[in-house]
Amino acid sequence: MSEPDIVVVGLSHHTAPVHVRERLSVATDAMPSEVARLVGALPLDEAVVISTCNRVEIYAATTRPAEALTQARAYLVERGKPDTIDTFLYAHHGERAVAHAFRVAASLDSMVLGEPQILGQVKDAVAVAATAGTLGPLLGQCFRNAFSVAKRVRRETEIAAGTVSISSIAIELASKIFGTLEARKVLLVGAGKMGEAAAKALSKRGAELAVVNRSPERAQSVAQAAGGRARPFEALAEELAHADVVITSTGSPTFIVGVDSIRGVMRIRKGRPLFIIDIAVPRDVDPRVGEIDNVFVYDVDDLRKVADDNLAHRRKEASSAERIVHEEVQTFETWRASLAVTPTIVALRSQFQRVAELELERAMTRLGHLGPDDRKQVEAAVGRVVQKLLHGPLTELKRGDGPGDTAFLVAAVRRLFELDAQPSLPAKAPTSAADADARSASETPPLAAAPRRAKDG
Amino acid sequence: MTPTLAAVVGTLYAVACAVFLVHLSKGSPRLGNVGRVVLAAAALAHLVYVGAVFSSGAARPMASIYQTLSMVSLAMVLAFLATSLRYRTTVLGAFITPVTLLFFLGAVLGATAEPVPSSVTLTLLPVHIAVNVLGIAAFALAFAAALAYLIQERKLRTKELGGIFQRLPSLDVLDMLGYRFLLVGFPLLTVGLVTGAFWIVGGATGQPHYISPAQGLGVVTWIVFAGVLILRTVAGWRGRKAALGTMFGFACASLVLLAYVINSFGGAS
Repeated sequence: MSEPDIVVVGLSHHTAPVHVRERLSVATDAMPSEVARLVGALPLDEAVVISTCNRVEIYAATTRPAEALTQARAYLVERGKPDTIDTFLYAHHGERAVAHAFRVAASLDSMVLGEPQILGQVKDAVAVAATAGTLGPLLGQCFRNAFSVAKRVRRETEIAAGTVSISSIAIELASKIFGTLEARKVLLVGAGKMGEAAAKALSKRGAELAVVNRSPERAQSVAQAAGGRARPFEALAEELAHADVVITSTGSPTFIVGVDSIRGVMRIRKGRPLFIIDIAVPRDVDPRVGEIDNVFVYDVDDLRKVADDNLAHRRKEASSAERIVHEEVQTFETWRASLAVTPTIVALRSQFQRVAELELERAMTRLGHLGPDDRKQVEAAVGRVVQKLLHGPLTELKRGDGPGDTAFLVAAVRRLFELDAQPSLPAKAPTSAADADARSASETPPLAAAPRRAKDG
Repeated sequence: MTPTLAAVVGTLYAVACAVFLVHLSKGSPRLGNVGRVVLAAAALAHLVYVGAVFSSGAARPMASIYQTLSMVSLAMVLAFLATSLRYRTTVLGAFITPVTLLFFLGAVLGATAEPVPSSVTLTLLPVHIAVNVLGIAAFALAFAAALAYLIQERKLRTKELGGIFQRLPSLDVLDMLGYRFLLVGFPLLTVGLVTGAFWIVGGATGQPHYISPAQGLGVVTWIVFAGVLILRTVAGWRGRKAALGTMFGFACASLVLLAYVINSFGGAS
């Protein structure tokens, strides 16, 4: 039996365009049956499938990693048809697969570095696998560690510092101007996607939303979706006077908000600050509006620059986060290697004992002239030989100098003593001349040495 | 004993000031609390110092401009500590403590040349000085809020949104704080001015005095703050203009104190 390994096959925004990712993604309600089916159809012992808009990945624990990787790959390729997606796929096993899981959970592999949603998505995927019964001890531990890695990264680095999406920057700026957003008035002009998202985000924080659009139907639908009220385009001037935050994202080729209208508005507002976010390209708001006292105008480039600055900072932080991941992978691998030690020790011991018993039995049939006491002596001597021979390898196995060393020792012992080829051994051993040589080489000297040493002492 | 105490108080104020400045520029929340603890210790030492000065008989409470300066710095520290508990605006300590330190040092360094004026037997004078001390302390806090507002406003306009911008409170909170401190300080200043005027017109001594530069500046200060408050309600002078007005008013109030200091040198010669 070989030790189970962790493998991952999948694709992400790093390797595949969105139309490919879409094709592979698994719907939330189909997920439990999907993971269960995977474990049934492929040589996998455990499986977790993560499917978000940026990645589709199969994580698995398997005792046949090579086979599992090939088949999981084939499975995804089949799913991705008619596109040829083979080139988009990546596959890792062992330490690299574990590191990948940790990096994904810690948002180091995310499109927006440090974004917080991915951790929740991974947690959901693991919960689904647990319910579907495809989460076992190895993947279970791997993802538990991944969650604590994510927490550590968040705590010890500034990977999530500063906001990087247009919506969250809008919220941050509005909060820095108005304090609380509770009961502040937000006016959305036009219906660009980004503007709508920002308006929704603000209204979620307790702001009141009004939507003005050239198309009343569009205004109505956006207002309904975001919990605001729709107003006709003619009411723009009137709404401007009431709004604290104005988000413009119309397709207008000219400015729709000019200096004079805002000057008038500010007179009515008695100097209460006005925050204008102009997401439209070409711009909707005359940039000179930003020169008016207590009026703050941010256009799409300003917002993007804020996002870029914050992102640059996150990238700097990512290198310390990678160090944490590296450390944690080592910890996990140490644990995993320790898992393999106990069965190996048991197997090695029983292997030695089996050989010893077999050879004793064989010898005893030829040593019929020995009395019962002599027989006991011989048996005890063989037993001591076995114990002494085992002592060195067992101590080294238990001691293991780090995960790499332990894994190496486990593999070496399994291979040297043919622990993974058990059934053939007893049948083969007695007939082989080489085995007989080995036997005499290994058994004879200690047998002879032990009493002699006793005499010397 | 008092020189040692003064040195202790001055050192504690300087340490608090340094801690708050680092807190503002580096932003560790723990530093803000350290700063407040140091500042509270400084205020306590300051109280002991005030007690020691008065019990030694070297001066009567608020009898000289130097004692007044010392009391102003103490009052603004106590007001700040109270405010920071209520509004979580610890970072403003970085703007308050330098002013405190400056006033306290002025009080201590000047105190050696201190003459006790003969005319301070007037009953109204302690009231006059007490309300002005509290008023100026309130204006000092308004000044700190206004300065923070202008920094914040500038950062928003130039779109530099890192560091200090992250740590200072929102414009709304700073504007509101500045306004409230003016509302507290203005009536005190008014009472101070009225009691002062009473003295000037000779209500106490029966002899009219000439208006000194300090008294003239006091009137200017009152007019500035009155203007800021009125324009705020009537013409929507909020935010930047109100902050600039507040800072100008506080500068005038500080000049009044400076004029008294200069005056005391004149009186001594």
